Order: sequence, then structure tokens, then C-alpha cells
Amino acid sequence: MVDVVIVPATRGQLGVLPGHVATIAELKPGIMSVHDGNGVTKYFVSSGFAFVHANSFADIIAVEAVPLDRIDASLVQKGLAEFTQKVNSASTDLEKAEAQIGVDVQSALNSP
Amino acid sequence: MAMAALRREGRRFAPSSPPPLLDASALLIEHHVPFGARSISTQVVRNRMKSVKNIQKITKAMKMVAASKLRAIQIRAENSRGLWQPFIALLGDTPSIDVKKNVIVTVSSDKGLCGGINSTSVRLSKGLHKLNSGPDKEPKYVVVGEKAKVQLIRDSRKHIHLTISELTKIPLNYTQVSVLADDIIKNVEFDALKIVFNKFHSVVSFIPTVSTVLSPEVVEREVESGSGKLGELDSYEIEGGSTRGETLQNLAEFQFSCVMFNAVLENACSEMGARMSAMDSSSRNAGEVLDRLTLTYNRTRQAAITTELTEIISGASALEG
Repeated sequence: MVDVVIVPATRGQLGVLPGHVATIAELKPGIMSVHDGNGVTKYFVSSGFAFVHANSFADIIAVEAVPLDRIDASLVQKGLAEFTQKVNSASTDLEKAEAQIGVDVQSALNSP
Repeated sequence: MAMAALRREGRRFAPSSPPPLLDASALLIEHHVPFGARSISTQVVRNRMKSVKNIQKITKAMKMVAASKLRAIQIRAENSRGLWQPFIALLGDTPSIDVKKNVIVTVSSDKGLCGGINSTSVRLSKGLHKLNSGPDKEPKYVVVGEKAKVQLIRDSRKHIHLTISELTKIPLNYTQVSVLADDIIKNVEFDALKIVFNKFHSVVSFIPTVSTVLSPEVVEREVESGSGKLGELDSYEIEGGSTRGETLQNLAEFQFSCVMFNAVLENACSEMGARMSAMDSSSRNAGEVLDRLTLTYNRTRQAAITTELTEIISGASALEG
């Protein structure tokens, strides 16, 4: 039993409390935080889905989920710089899209 | 005297050789007999014993290897079960749904010597195929793994759409399976995907299982009809602005890759467990054969010694007598 779960949906942060209407939400890379009485646990999810069922059960399925304390900030900065550079130097649409995805992920990692 | 001794010891060599003229000629009798006819050879039995002992050692080693691989992969398989459970919670499980285009994905191993698990998977797949065949719906096969390919190619070659082998060359990971799932979705038209694999219950029990993944169009159809779990899908709000159709499409692809990942892991576990028990019974069997051969060997050896002794003694007593 937890109080709130905040998930990074495609249109922004979605906060789920008990009694939330049944929802299917697609996730984009970002921070997911679970608040219960004692504190907050934060995870970085790469992408996936969040289902909220009518009986106040929420399922979050992510391709990859990492607890935040396992992430190295300096590597994130390096990755961000690398991908920003790739976006600027990308020639085809596909390369641009891939580099843009990299930038999105790295800046989301960077944000907390 | 010699003649009397010969007569006493039996007529074995008397007719085949001329009667001896001298007392010491008891030994000469041996010249008239084909070489080695009287020595009983243990060489054949000894060779067999050596090969059976080697088989026992090899199968015992294979069992150890399979046991260690099983330990590593079992944890991963049990953890991966949580991947598809939310999908069942949302969409329910409808294995008996009636659709036109069925695709049966059979998961099997590449290597043999693992008991009967591949045969059970193939039998289940063929049963499903028969069940779902009708006037205008022919199920297609996608085969993962060499062993099922060999068995299915024999009689269902024209129904096989795609085969994948050497999946376990590098340790299994989600990326690899998602690429595979992507491939299958792109190349095969389907209304329902039925994934056949062996679910790992325990080291001695593997249950052939079928997991069903429906295509977004079929899900939409079921939602409209309003029956069962899927009928309640309407009550779910779609967050994010995409239509329900698009969300369902993404959901179906994700569900398929999750279910495939779990299926491949469980099948690998079952393969290791089955190989362990097959190699164990094989080495036990080899031990029993070795015991019986040892008895035969000892009997043969003792018979040869007895024969030699008998000859010497009879010869000696012929000399005295």
C-alpha cells in the first residue's frame, strides 16, 4: 500500500492515488517515484506502460528500470553532450531521430 | 598310461590328434589344435567395459554442467514472470478465441539429449494446428530452435513461415528477444499468436503451455462485443492523447515481446532440467550395464584360469600316471 505513484507519461507527469480512474498510460523515459509513508523511492524507467485498474491496483511495466542511486551523474553529462552533438551533425532523418531520443533520455536522467 | 589318462580326461582332444607315442607327448597334443582355440578371450568384454565407463563419466559431467546452468537461468526465468502478469490483469487470457489467422510460435532447444520436452512441444503445436484448421483458416508456424524445426519440417513444411535458430548462443537478454519479436510481427500477418513452450515448474516437472497474444484489431473487436475481461477495457481512460487503436497496437507489440522473453527463458530452464534428469538416468543405466559386464568379465576370466589349471593338472597326472 503506497500513497502516490508519479509516472512519466508521454504528455507529462501522471500522479496516481488510490481510487484513480482506470487508465492505460504510455510512458516516456523519465523518473518514476513511489511515495509511501516513510519516504520516496525513485527509479528511472526507460519506457513502457502503466495500467491503473479500477480496484486501485497499478501495474507499471518498463523495458528497463533502474533505482536512481545506481546512476552515475558524470556519465549522464557526458552522454548528454555526446547526443546533443550527434543531433546537430545528423544527416538523415533516422539518425536525427535516434540522436534526439538519446538527448531526451539523457536530459531526463539529468533532471532530478 | 597316457592313453588311460586321455580316456579319463575326456574325449576332447583324443579324436582330433593321433594317439601319443611318448609320455612327454601330452604337451605335443597342443600342436595339432588350431592356435588359441582353447584360450577364452576377455578382450571383447574389456573393450565394452572401457567404453561404458567412459559413457558413464561423460553423462555425469553433462549432468553437472546442466545443473549449474539451470541455477543461473532459473532466477531470471522466475523474475521474468512478472513481465506478462500485468497484461493478463488488463486484457485477460483467451486461449480459445476463434480467429482466422493463427500463428503458432513453437519454442524449442537447439541441442539434443534433453529428454522429451521438444517432442511434447511439437505434439502440442500440431494439436493446436489441427484444432484451428478450418475451411479458410490455416495456422502458420514460426519455429524457434533446431529440434522443433527438424520435426515439423517432416510433415508440415509448407506451413512453416519462419525459423530461427541458435538463439542461445549468447546469453539471453531482452534486447535480442525484442528484435526477434519485432521481426515476427513485421513479417507475419496474425490475428492471434499462440506461443508454445515448456513452463518450468520444478527440476523434474515441465508443463507444456500455450500463451495467447491477440492483435490490436481482434482486441478492438472483443471490446466492442463487451464480453469477458476485454469488454471492460472500455472503462479504461487512455492517457496521452493517442487513440485507443494506437495504444492497443503498442500494447500488443510490447506484450508479445514480454511473453516471448518469458517463454524463451522458461524453455531454456526446462531444457536444462530435462537434460539433467536424462543424463542422470543415462549414467545410472551405464553403471548397471558396467556391473553386469564386470560379472561376465570375471566369470570369463575364472573359466579361462580353470581351463588352464585343468590342462596342466591333467597333463601332469598323465605324466605320473
